[in-house]
Amino acid sequence: MFLAPFLAAVTKRAARCRRPMLWPALPPLIVRCLLILFLLVLFSAIPGRAQAQQTAPQFDDVAARAAAARDQQNLPLAIELYGQAEQLKPDWAEGWFYLGLLQYSSDNFPQAIEAFNHLLQLQPNAPPAMALRGLCEFETGAYDDALRDLDEAVRKGAANQPRNEQIIRYRLAQLLARVGRFQDALLQYQFFAAKHIDDPDLLLGVGLAGMRITTLPKDVPAESRQLFEAAGKAGYIFLSGDSQGADTEFNQLFARYPTAPNLHFFYGTLLFMHGPELAIPQFQSEVAVAPSNPAAHAILAYSLMFAGRFAESRPEAELALAGAPDMEMAQLALGRALAETGDPDRAAEVLNQVLKRDPNDLEAHIGLAVMYARTGRREEAYRERMVCLGLAK
Amino acid sequence: MSAWFALAWQSRLKRRSASFAAVALVVLLCVFASTRLAQAQTAKPGAAAAVTCATCHAGVSASYAHAPMRHALENPGANPVLDTHPKLTVQMGAYTYTVQTKDGQSTYTVSDGTDSMTLPIRWDFGQQSQTWVLEKDGNLYEGLVSYFHRDQALATTPGDGRITPHNLTEAMGRKLNAWEVNQCFNCHATNALDGVRLKLNTLTPGLDCERCHVGVEQHMADAIHDNFTTLPKKLKTMDAEDAANFCGQCHRTWDTVVRNGWKGVVDVRFQPYRLENSKCFTGNDRRISCLTCHDPHQPVNHNDAVYDSKCLACHGGGKASKVATAAAPPTAKACPVAKANCVSCHMQKVELPGGHAVFTDHMIRIVKAGEPYPD
Repeated sequence: MFLAPFLAAVTKRAARCRRPMLWPALPPLIVRCLLILFLLVLFSAIPGRAQAQQTAPQFDDVAARAAAARDQQNLPLAIELYGQAEQLKPDWAEGWFYLGLLQYSSDNFPQAIEAFNHLLQLQPNAPPAMALRGLCEFETGAYDDALRDLDEAVRKGAANQPRNEQIIRYRLAQLLARVGRFQDALLQYQFFAAKHIDDPDLLLGVGLAGMRITTLPKDVPAESRQLFEAAGKAGYIFLSGDSQGADTEFNQLFARYPTAPNLHFFYGTLLFMHGPELAIPQFQSEVAVAPSNPAAHAILAYSLMFAGRFAESRPEAELALAGAPDMEMAQLALGRALAETGDPDRAAEVLNQVLKRDPNDLEAHIGLAVMYARTGRREEAYRERMVCLGLAK
Repeated sequence: MSAWFALAWQSRLKRRSASFAAVALVVLLCVFASTRLAQAQTAKPGAAAAVTCATCHAGVSASYAHAPMRHALENPGANPVLDTHPKLTVQMGAYTYTVQTKDGQSTYTVSDGTDSMTLPIRWDFGQQSQTWVLEKDGNLYEGLVSYFHRDQALATTPGDGRITPHNLTEAMGRKLNAWEVNQCFNCHATNALDGVRLKLNTLTPGLDCERCHVGVEQHMADAIHDNFTTLPKKLKTMDAEDAANFCGQCHRTWDTVVRNGWKGVVDVRFQPYRLENSKCFTGNDRRISCLTCHDPHQPVNHNDAVYDSKCLACHGGGKASKVATAAAPPTAKACPVAKANCVSCHMQKVELPGGHAVFTDHMIRIVKAGEPYPD
């Protein structure tokens, strides 16, 4: 089996570099089997293998020696030989893949990135290579690049294999929270909760995303971990489906940390997924804790809008926009609230601001449809409704 | 379960009460209300506890007592369907289902030929067609078979046809998560929720007055003392947009369906959504409101002709309705084909896949022969 010599090295690398929960949770034999599957898929995804059967004697010789070194687990020699082979035949995709993988296994992340760059130039839509490059970029601190690669790799199916899914989603969740995409991060963490995969670092990540902290887990000061881990635990319980257990846990946290910002926000965000009216009391509490937080006012306004409480939504949206004039969520809430409470002209103005940035914003079109309906502009309302039906997922 | 709820709504509301009669009834009740309240005030202490909505609103309370929405959920012992069908059986794949009723107690049994599981039926969802919610080991399950009124028989519960059970528990029912349970009971019962917590032991089955008329308790308490300043919001004055949103709390709003991207024939159950997709729907015009055709306190009237006057209020070329506005002209293009039974052509009847029932599509339109169901 040509991949066998690499398994030990990759497993060793993984055990050393990844979060504990992502590897020791499974017996080594299973890890090895999963890795074989992973690498087989990667290998089969590289059509360049056929190209490797080229006729140049020198290339054939170097490639064969590279493979032999790889089989003998002589990583430095294998890296050297794959490098030579790629100089002889730069469009050898399989070689770039092995070179990247060997560099990754040797903790040579910049070199691994370079190899995957070559591979992705040859095969731009190779999700496994994209995911591996993203993981390397994470290790080098190139977080924006890592997010771009992992996000796209997941969209293209790189996380479809159970073994890869954990590390990819875990890193992606951290990166999403880092750039303020907290809701997207929680969706990634939901995968772990649904599978009841538990780990303190994971809970910390959930807590950070839930409480809207952009710090990476590894950079959280020790004195702050307790709150975030506890919040993460409550959120994790919720995401795993135990809503009543989570409710108890959150209420204990509120008693213990009555002034902690974004704690009620976190619980409200989770409840919102199951009914905005359930989330409203939490967002109201958040606004009471942090009255100058535009995001809290915005999400309260948005929830009130979803619940049909437009008159209450309007002042909250105004408060949010006073602090953050371009906040889209607040603009949507305000536009809809204005449409519902008798100020159609201003409603159209606010909603069109959103549409100027994103002509396909469903919520803005819904607001316009309502505005037209409320003012008896039947044909325009019908037109907007049809636009919405076209946009609906 | 929402299918049954929607069906119940339809079957109850199609028999619209004449608006004239309704107005007269209200006037009559107002006249009697002061007399009743005076009697209540002069009654001996403790009589106040017996005051109910029916004390003053006897007529509407009496009619609503028989409305399907009032019976959207029933407890054991109050289920005429099961009383009249004491033993229902169906074979579904490898499993046999039996629903038996004796002395007002109903049980739901599933058997694979070797083993069987029997559970008491605790919650009956729906008045005519019914789905049962069962309890096992502290969890709630939607029975995998339901009773269908049209067929007078058991069959797979709508939406559960894709389930292939691997054991008796899976064959018995689909385990409901907490959010589904909350949604089911919140629309089929009154006072079902306290925040996120379900109050199974204290809820009122079916939709009681206060489920729609928020604030009736305060109103009753004040009315006893001749204080009529805390009246619940008048729902009958809602315009089309407000009514669609109000009824849509359970029958699904247009926003809800669009945000969730629900498509296909199954959305025929979501009447407010379908109505708002009609070209003639105008949000600020009460002539196209849910309440124009349906009185929630009455059963649905299935006589198509009953609804003609509603259509002709806009399309008849007759007198303008009092609620017409400049933006919503009182007259619209008259139908060149007929002046009667409008809904028979313009509101298509649609067989709900797996629902064993026909629903009226509330998307009012010129239905062309052979055209696909419009999303």
